Amino acid sequence: MKKFLLLLVLAFALALGTASLVSANGGPHGGYTATTDACAGCHRAHTAPGPRLLLADSTYDLCVTCHGSAGAGANTNVDDGFYLSSRDDAPGGADGNVGAANTPDNAPLLGGGFQNYQGAPVTSVHDANGTTAAAWGNGVDRGVTADLTEGNLSCASCHDPHGSPNYRILKETINGNAVNVAQVDEGAAKDYDTEQWGAGMSSVCAACHDAYHVTTSGSGSDSTYLATGGYAHAVDMNYSYGGTNTNPELGWTDEFGNGPNYLPLAESGVNDRVVCSTCHMSHGTAAAATGFADGAYDPPFGTVGPIPSGDSALLRLDNRGVCEVCHQK
Amino acid sequence: MESGVLKPTSEEDLHGTDFADGQAIQATVGMDGLTSDDMEELTQEAEGDERKRRRRLLALLIFLLLLLLAFSSLFCRYLQQPTPLPEIILPSTVHYPPHYLFSIYGVDKPVGVTLSPEGDRLYVAETGGERMIRIFDTEGAPIAMFAPPRTRPGERSPVYLETDKDGRIFVTDRLQHAIYIFGSDGSYLDMLISPDLSLSSYVDDRVGGLLLGSTYVYNIFQDNVYYQPFGQEETTLPAPDKMIKWAPLGLHIDEENNLFVTDVTEGKNRVLEFSLPDEPILVSWEGIQLLQSDFGKSGQSRGQFLFPNDVAADSQGRIYISDGNNGRISVWDKDKNFLFNFSGGTAEGALSLPRGIFIDHLDRLFVVDAVGQDVKVYDVSGQEPAFLYAFGDWGIDDGLFNYPNDIVVAKDGLLYIVDRENNRIQVWSY
Repeated sequence: MKKFLLLLVLAFALALGTASLVSANGGPHGGYTATTDACAGCHRAHTAPGPRLLLADSTYDLCVTCHGSAGAGANTNVDDGFYLSSRDDAPGGADGNVGAANTPDNAPLLGGGFQNYQGAPVTSVHDANGTTAAAWGNGVDRGVTADLTEGNLSCASCHDPHGSPNYRILKETINGNAVNVAQVDEGAAKDYDTEQWGAGMSSVCAACHDAYHVTTSGSGSDSTYLATGGYAHAVDMNYSYGGTNTNPELGWTDEFGNGPNYLPLAESGVNDRVVCSTCHMSHGTAAAATGFADGAYDPPFGTVGPIPSGDSALLRLDNRGVCEVCHQK
Repeated sequence: MESGVLKPTSEEDLHGTDFADGQAIQATVGMDGLTSDDMEELTQEAEGDERKRRRRLLALLIFLLLLLLAFSSLFCRYLQQPTPLPEIILPSTVHYPPHYLFSIYGVDKPVGVTLSPEGDRLYVAETGGERMIRIFDTEGAPIAMFAPPRTRPGERSPVYLETDKDGRIFVTDRLQHAIYIFGSDGSYLDMLISPDLSLSSYVDDRVGGLLLGSTYVYNIFQDNVYYQPFGQEETTLPAPDKMIKWAPLGLHIDEENNLFVTDVTEGKNRVLEFSLPDEPILVSWEGIQLLQSDFGKSGQSRGQFLFPNDVAADSQGRIYISDGNNGRISVWDKDKNFLFNFSGGTAEGALSLPRGIFIDHLDRLFVVDAVGQDVKVYDVSGQEPAFLYAFGDWGIDDGLFNYPNDIVVAKDGLLYIVDRENNRIQVWSY
């Protein structure tokens, strides 16, 4: 009887796990059956105009057909960094498919946008339209082109369109490095404006910018002079402002009066770990970068390639606002 | 004859009338014995022949002159009273694909297109660059451009457009969650900010009556409605709250001035139907009525949608919805009862990602397949749709598509197709 109950529990757990996986990889991005028609949505077997049998010569162009600013096939608009339309949380909907909305309409995506963010043009961006830009902190040098398996940088460099157990279908291997980002349970509806990622979130960035992935406590001051020639702020450490782990960060109010806002930390529910995405946005940001904070300001190590004036280094807040949130000098 | 040498075998052979060399020989022999009378007779005969030849030539010249006069007369008459060429009505049973004519450039990532009621102006919505709505003539010359007022490019995303019988332009905006209404020249008139609320109605309620010539603007990213009574200073009103949530995407206005809107609210995909006021009211749009709350649900089953994009109606009153992410066309009767889906799967004419659709006067349904990189055409005049043909393929050269998204067909048979990643509108013709 005990064995039977154990099997029953295991079967139930498996069913739950499977359902969760399908939910996280919905639409054309997973959950395929033996007779799926999803392949034909993006591929042609014999007459594909793009590599990997894609119906595109540009992965970005294909992705924004649904995820672009028109929002004609998805609510995640990566051009503008908005989640366009959430569930209707009003009771009595026509199809009964209602419930508390995890993400409000036009909520800013945590990853930012490729054209705009919060309505303003981006000031720095991961150009995912097939560029060969060097990845800062790649290897031991400060500007080496990442050896991406599919060639140049594109959406598919970081995301697996066929589904993945990682958060937001992030690939399990990027630039030859293993990536493991647990997805924290976000309920029945997805939550696009609150961090739902596990502590491994930094492994996504470290896949190309590995020299910046320094986890030794105190590495920013005196313990380790890095092989790249300098010191680096540690990541993946517990947030400890004021000697506690209770997230006493300085909240700020955005230009639309929304707030207080906090920088996203890993492991939602515990909210205690600083990762790369705490300060940087993976798609693009419209943060202002002036004076010493201007990306074009010549750093002591020189520059690799032309950096446009006003480049904001994918930071979440204007200038060095991300420093002040924690250090409050 | 076996030796291959031709020899005369008799007197008849030598002087035969059909033996040319023989005639020449006989004439030469005769010339040696001619008298002066004979010579005179021969001269008179020659002169007679010459006169006959001249008369024939004169008759020919007179005939040509008369012909020229006749054509000149007809041409002068046409210039004074030109008559249009007779309309060639093709039988609907003959189907052949159109051919590429030319492209209209000067747009950035266009996604929506429509024509004015007269068919002389083309309106195009773009999602790149400044995100304007651009007006062209039908030969591609730019006329003007406009945009949702008081918005930055990153705060607006005009997608699909439609004109009503009075020429007003209805534009869905995905970021603003609204349908903008403009005059035919692009002048801003009003907004539908919710299925049951126009901005003018909201302002009218707040200020206790709108004055003619007042302006009112709302930006969903700001907390205020900007209101300026005619001839007075601008004031602000609080943003409306407690609105019914919606996410309008595609639209269609039928012959009876009913407006159909696809709503892609997460988990609540549906189609809304409104009745537009008959008169071109500029100040108040209270005449707009929601006829039926909605039809359709989110999902993959019959009568359900996943990102319904566009709407069209055939001559029988049946309503067609491009069910984008389900890769099919959903068909409903005029009473909004679900009938059937078609063109799913992988058979001939199957759709990958249907977006903009249009039904012309011959009941031909044109479906733009965004990742199929073509336009598929169906005959929907009968009970069951029949696939006719597809035209276009992926590419960047003339006549090739790079993510097409919308289509409008003019009454003269010209097709205008939005070619998003090639930054152009392609013009095709039958």
